[in-house]
Amino acid sequence: QADGEDGPDYSRKGADSCFACHDDQATLAVFRTPHAVPTDSRTPFGHDQLQCEACHGPGGEHAARVRRGQERPGVIAFGEGATGTVAEQNAYCIDCHASDTGLGWHGTAHDDDTITCAGCHTSHAASDPVLETSTQAEVCFDCHQQQRTQSLKPFAHVVDEGKMDCGSCHSVHDTTFDAMLVRQTLNQTCHECHAETRGPHLWEHAPVAEDCSTCHEPHGSNHPGMLTMRGPMLCQSCHSQAGHPSLAQDSDSLPSGIASQYLLGQNCMNCHGQVHGSNHPSGSKLMR
Amino acid sequence: DVDTSEWLCESCPFETGYRAEYEAGVSNVSEDAARFGNGNGYDEEGTYANFDGSGHYTTDDYQLDWMIEDLGLASRFAEISGGKQGNYGFYLAYRELPYRLFDTTQTIFTGSLGVPAGWVGAGSTSGMTALDSSLRTRGIESDRRILDAGGHWLSGEQWRVFADFRRQNNEGIDIIAGSGFSQAAQLPRVHDYETDQIDLGIQYRLPRGSATLAYYGSFFSNSNDSLSWQSPFATIMNPERNVMAEAPDNEFQQLTLSGHYRFDTWRSVVAASLATGKGEQDDGLLPYTSLSGIPSDPLPRSSLDGSVDTTNFAVTWTARPMDGLRVKAAYRYDDRDNTTPQTEWTRVIVDLVNSGEPEQNIPYSFERSKLNLSAEYRLFSDWRLSAGYDYKTLDRDFQEVAEQTEDTGWGQVRWKPRGWADLRLRGGASRRDIDRYDLSVTASAGQNPLLRKYNLAYRYREFLEFVASASLPNAPLSVGATFYRSDDDYSRSLLGMTDARETRLTTDLTWTISETASAYLVYGDEQIEASQLGSAGFGDADWSAAHDDNFDHLGIGLALRNVAEKLDLSFDYTRGNGDSAIGVTTDTNGFRPLPDLESKLDSLRIEAEYRHSEQLEITATLRYEQFSADDWALQEVEPATISTLLTLGADPYDYDLWVFGVGFRYRFGDRDIALAE
Repeated sequence: QADGEDGPDYSRKGADSCFACHDDQATLAVFRTPHAVPTDSRTPFGHDQLQCEACHGPGGEHAARVRRGQERPGVIAFGEGATGTVAEQNAYCIDCHASDTGLGWHGTAHDDDTITCAGCHTSHAASDPVLETSTQAEVCFDCHQQQRTQSLKPFAHVVDEGKMDCGSCHSVHDTTFDAMLVRQTLNQTCHECHAETRGPHLWEHAPVAEDCSTCHEPHGSNHPGMLTMRGPMLCQSCHSQAGHPSLAQDSDSLPSGIASQYLLGQNCMNCHGQVHGSNHPSGSKLMR
Repeated sequence: DVDTSEWLCESCPFETGYRAEYEAGVSNVSEDAARFGNGNGYDEEGTYANFDGSGHYTTDDYQLDWMIEDLGLASRFAEISGGKQGNYGFYLAYRELPYRLFDTTQTIFTGSLGVPAGWVGAGSTSGMTALDSSLRTRGIESDRRILDAGGHWLSGEQWRVFADFRRQNNEGIDIIAGSGFSQAAQLPRVHDYETDQIDLGIQYRLPRGSATLAYYGSFFSNSNDSLSWQSPFATIMNPERNVMAEAPDNEFQQLTLSGHYRFDTWRSVVAASLATGKGEQDDGLLPYTSLSGIPSDPLPRSSLDGSVDTTNFAVTWTARPMDGLRVKAAYRYDDRDNTTPQTEWTRVIVDLVNSGEPEQNIPYSFERSKLNLSAEYRLFSDWRLSAGYDYKTLDRDFQEVAEQTEDTGWGQVRWKPRGWADLRLRGGASRRDIDRYDLSVTASAGQNPLLRKYNLAYRYREFLEFVASASLPNAPLSVGATFYRSDDDYSRSLLGMTDARETRLTTDLTWTISETASAYLVYGDEQIEASQLGSAGFGDADWSAAHDDNFDHLGIGLALRNVAEKLDLSFDYTRGNGDSAIGVTTDTNGFRPLPDLESKLDSLRIEAEYRHSEQLEITATLRYEQFSADDWALQEVEPATISTLLTLGADPYDYDLWVFGVGFRYRFGDRDIALAE
């Protein structure tokens, strides 16, 4: 056994000791990951690093002979079959990845007392599912089940097709922003892809400038445009104008009655198409 | 210090050389369906050739990876990345994202949004006698093309420099309203947007922390400054065109300084960020009216000189002052200061009539702050008690509510016996209050003085959440469940939203049948209810609407690996049902509900991978999807159904299709990893 000075014992031959038993493909797949690049001195298999025991902890007792009937002492394990606490497991990851988790990790639902790094990351696979757009959402949905439900609603971002990932909007490690968004505010995040709504416009629509989620549910909705409520009622929640009465739209307004442009098609937006703002000098009513 | 002199790693199979796999295949789609093709590109019936692949090349020092997905589809993706790990890295990626909204839409408009030759205008759509012969199919669809490039460079263990560039092009057709006095037409607008984004930064890392200085720039440009169209209605038909403004070119730039540090004292971590940004927009303005001969004032300025300054600050402190106790304090401040000059404008109503009434543009600004305080105490070994308090403020300019505050208190109990279960119950309440609802603002906007906009109104909210997960010891099952309920009460609103409730329930079950077989079941249900009051008579409430949005889904799956050491199989079935009921009650007509808005999704996917040899795999995919919707906004709404609106006649979604695909995947390099000898 190698001596850890004033500490637990490490194995005598490092990884060579481990692979005497652990030579299955799932274990060896670590050599197809960034953790096993010998020329990168920061990685577990870099020069003078602790190889398997960098993550799994000192394995001297684990690798030593045991008496018949004696249980073999364990090492730190991750994921299924893990025996250590969440904090104990994560301490090994954060020891190297401290700067990756500094801004947004501590004190959040993802922090070191709540879920393990291995709860999301698969460190022995050549391709970590949570880092791939096509598979990331399924990893997140393991815990964020309500968002899975919402993503299947009739109108949603194409997360369920694996063409967008949760990371398009959320950064789980490295932000101090609300909802772990990738940009400082919700609107700045939405403008990543929808910059045509950013303005500033000559005629602004007040809630648009302040908070996209006043009208939109970004995880999915029963209503077109991922709106939080069907129009025209959504608009009528805030608008009851003199000269443009807030008329009730009931079944009389359907094609079977007097088909109403206030209800059918795009309801209020049949005329007020510039709901995100207008840059036309005559556009104060968001029609130009 | 560990003596690693004998740690030779002689058996370590470090990777060098080349490995890759490529797959060529064909798929057949049985039916045209825009909704099905949204995102994946399978929107048209027919056969699609496809190509996928990935590869990796390593020398002792350098790595190179590449990936190709769906090369034959409108959702194609390709990426190449590499570098020298620990020194530098780079990437170049390209993605296309198809957006498919409708393929059942029809229009009379020409490509330049003129009316066709021989068009017969009329005062209402029923008089448009050339309508049927003029309609042409025009799908509502667009494609987003995203180019990403960037890299990072490390200097020692302390410095990291990064640069990322993204260009997004969004081209296609969307729907926009072309409106007149009391008539309008849905226009199939051609749009062509381009957004460039740049992220540049330098980070200094310490064992205990980091500091980052970053620049972000986003530059949007629109190929079209304006949109012109001819009205199909005779009463306002003009020989010239109506014109509306398109989304203006704009840009936003931001500088951010952020960092964190870990202290020994109470094992504290402090993280903070400070950002200052500026958004600008100075596109040339269109005239008040595009029509000659319409009297209009000269424009007070030729462009807006629009400018928004933003400031964002956040600081978070977490600590463990004693064993078992964690505390957190966080403060956040966001400021949007719209410095766009205010000017008086005299609009020409729908291009025809000078209003004669000057009105000022309103540059909305706000300041928002949020304080969060929370603590968690571990009781015994398995129980944790938490409590927290949040305080939000929101100050706005030019709106009915200038000062808004919200207090939230919550508590949580968590039971987490090590290794097998995690149960969490959380509940709380919040009160959003306002200084006053400024009726002078309401009056200047011509709004009913009884109306309270729901994002500005007094609100009392109660919420309860339960989350549970368990993996039974020595049993192959893991289960999870969540429940959330919130009740919102806008009790001081006489018009507008008056109450809302949200209930969500999910559950999942995973069964590890054996080392090569697993199954899952997921279920989710969500209900969103809301009530609102309205006034058609510009007085007290004379109508009400009750909204009841429901959605539930069921997912079942089975995965079998290594069947006969040759075959992997997976079955996934998803069902989703949406149902939105809106009950409208008026003083005059009584209760006359709208028909339910319904959607039904059934989706089955079966995938198989057969390993013919060490190098060759044969893949097969069978997918069946059925989707139907009842939507009164579209149902039976043909282009001329509404007398005052010429629509595009989109149909509610309704499809029932199969996709069958087969592919051949060839692998270069070893599949298995063998220990070095």
